[in-house]
Amino acid sequence: MTSQNSPLTRPLADPEAVVAELLTFLEEQTRSLWEPETDLYRDGGLSSLFAMQLVVHLEKSYGIAIRGADLRLDNFRTVRLMSALVGRLQQAQADGRDG
Amino acid sequence: MGEDLAEAVASATALVADQAGEWDRTGLLPLRLLRELGAQGRLCAEVPVQYGGLGLTSLTGGQYTAHIGSLCSSLRSVMTSQGMAAWTVQRFGTARQQADCLGRLTGGELAAVAFSEPQAGSDLSALGTTIRQDGESVVVDGRKKWVTAAHYADLLVVFGRYQDGAAAVLVPADAPGVRVERIADPLGCRAAGHADLWLDSVRLPVDSVLGGYGLPLPLLVTTALAYGRISVAWGCVGILRACLAAATAHAATREQFGRPLAEHQLVARHLAELYAGEQIASRVCEHASRCWDAGSPEQVVATVLAKHVSAARAAEGAASAVQVLASAGAADGHSVARAYRDAKLMEIIEGSSELCQLMLAQHAMTAGGLGRAMPGAGGTT
Repeated sequence: MTSQNSPLTRPLADPEAVVAELLTFLEEQTRSLWEPETDLYRDGGLSSLFAMQLVVHLEKSYGIAIRGADLRLDNFRTVRLMSALVGRLQQAQADGRDG
Repeated sequence: MGEDLAEAVASATALVADQAGEWDRTGLLPLRLLRELGAQGRLCAEVPVQYGGLGLTSLTGGQYTAHIGSLCSSLRSVMTSQGMAAWTVQRFGTARQQADCLGRLTGGELAAVAFSEPQAGSDLSALGTTIRQDGESVVVDGRKKWVTAAHYADLLVVFGRYQDGAAAVLVPADAPGVRVERIADPLGCRAAGHADLWLDSVRLPVDSVLGGYGLPLPLLVTTALAYGRISVAWGCVGILRACLAAATAHAATREQFGRPLAEHQLVARHLAELYAGEQIASRVCEHASRCWDAGSPEQVVATVLAKHVSAARAAEGAASAVQVLASAGAADGHSVARAYRDAKLMEIIEGSSELCQLMLAQHAMTAGGLGRAMPGAGGTT
């Protein structure tokens, strides 16, 4: 769990590209195919341990720090919601509202 | 950083000297020692330098933790608690809470983290402690069990229900309504200051709640425990190193049937397995710490694996060391006798071996594309 990335030099990620990348990550990790709207925990049977893996993966891949209220499970419930979280946090960092 | 570590290691060796056995026997660490290490940032050495920590990586911090663990598991337990408190604040606290609290945790104040309750041990979803907002205050009610280092702590990080989820709240140990009762004779880590807590209508400013949000309890607990688990895992590496050193030294000098113990094949097997255990635990901890330092998502499972493997190996290895030293190591206060009792507790705390096994099994199923066959295994969902 690192916040050592350099958000200032990182271009904002395209939401659809984030969706595609996350679907690939999920497929690699679970050897299953997922839809962007599938509830990963309620319908997918994934655990809070897996949710934590997703937190670390998002931080590492997109140079964001996910803290405080952003750690609500609702932000990690579907691939689409995670993509929205990435967009929001990257935008906040670009605007200098980090931390 | 290398010099910092060498200095911290040498300093800890000198401070502990030959006193660990006495601390174990009396059940108390000198408070002055804890304050001194705390004020140097050495009880939570991975806290960033900007907050007064040493900014050690997980790997370097792990080596330091293993060294302390080889000297005294009680002191290492206090470090684990302090580090876990700091990590929880780093992870969930606001910028202001981080600046304030982390400075205190690297300035000599001591902290403990309270998860378990009389009715909520492995199943933390049964947590009954409540944090209730009342105007500009929050009111905390509940009872906590087996809180490591709470006897020494100035600050208690208490997990409870809050809003529609859960939160961690910072409770000064001297706040009205807080009662801390030391567990006098724990099986192991006897000087780690284990205590039970009573929280009766403890009224605190609302900004005592980390982040101020109701977060999902499993994610909150899993995140906080991750630090505790990697720290305990490294502590177990230290136990194994101390046991290996004691067993080999004894086997080299003690003679029976006209030759050193090490030349007896059945004793040699104990030494071989102790060495194997120390090496396996070291490698699995190094791997997990490298995952932390790289920010790899694999850190989550690698940490559970490291905790499970290292605790099991430490318990086995300590039992072997007692067997090799026999009467020479069977008295209270001896390093292998301590290790034997301390290592057993490592299979229980920060997620019992069985809980770790359930998490690892679920991971194995998920990674094999079979995750949906066992949703919610291990109570972690």
